Amino acid sequence: MSDYGTPPPPPPPALGYNSGGMGGAPPQNYLVWAILSTVFCCLPLGVASIVFAAQVNSKWQAGDARGAAESSAKAKKFAMWSAIAGVVVAIVWVFFVVVVAALSEGS
Amino acid sequence: MTTAVPQRPEAPVVARGFGALRVPALAVAGGLAVTTLLAVVDPNQPGHYPTCPFLAVTGLYCPGCGSLRAIHDLVHGDLGGAMARNPLTVVALVGLAIGWVLWARRLWRGQPRSWAAPPALLYGLLTLVLAFWALRNVPGWTWLSPA
Repeated sequence: MSDYGTPPPPPPPALGYNSGGMGGAPPQNYLVWAILSTVFCCLPLGVASIVFAAQVNSKWQAGDARGAAESSAKAKKFAMWSAIAGVVVAIVWVFFVVVVAALSEGS
Repeated sequence: MTTAVPQRPEAPVVARGFGALRVPALAVAGGLAVTTLLAVVDPNQPGHYPTCPFLAVTGLYCPGCGSLRAIHDLVHGDLGGAMARNPLTVVALVGLAIGWVLWARRLWRGQPRSWAAPPALLYGLLTLVLAFWALRNVPGWTWLSPA
């Protein structure tokens, strides 16, 4: 258990489009971003990201390298959008605070 | 007899050692920056951070509500306070720390990703998050609510 990672898989079979196969490296599932957005961005996007992360691994385990790669792309998209949404919310918030401060000062 | 010299597939040049640890180092720097901010700018004071948009719109807590205060409490050594605000955050931080160590170790050794978490584990995480989301909104039952 402590040593998964042992010898790197021999030469990858026929390098090319999506050399996936079960010999290659499993596709990234962006689970870290899913967790971060669930816990920190307070965005339900995080929950969708967890679903896609789980899909990546279950398709991979079922031998569906192509499907896993597709789910990985979706997971990536959701990770990006939740990060962007987090930044946008923060900017809108700062803007809002500044405007409220300016208004209350003016009146 | 001229057997074609077998093309030795050139192993992809994978950085290892310190050179490979740039991204993990960035992640730590980001984490430290956020932690420092939360330690200094108290999230218990209203107006310091935006209210969770989900809470603002629906009036319900989301799985992340209370996480800023939980981290603030943790930095100040108050594990009980952190658990009261958001136990999921505490658990998630432990998980993230373990994940970071495994990730950094793999990069350090220059190995490709070779392990995928069992899907059941990920669906279990999903169930946990959804259950937490629902339970912390049960009226009159404040055990899991961040308030």
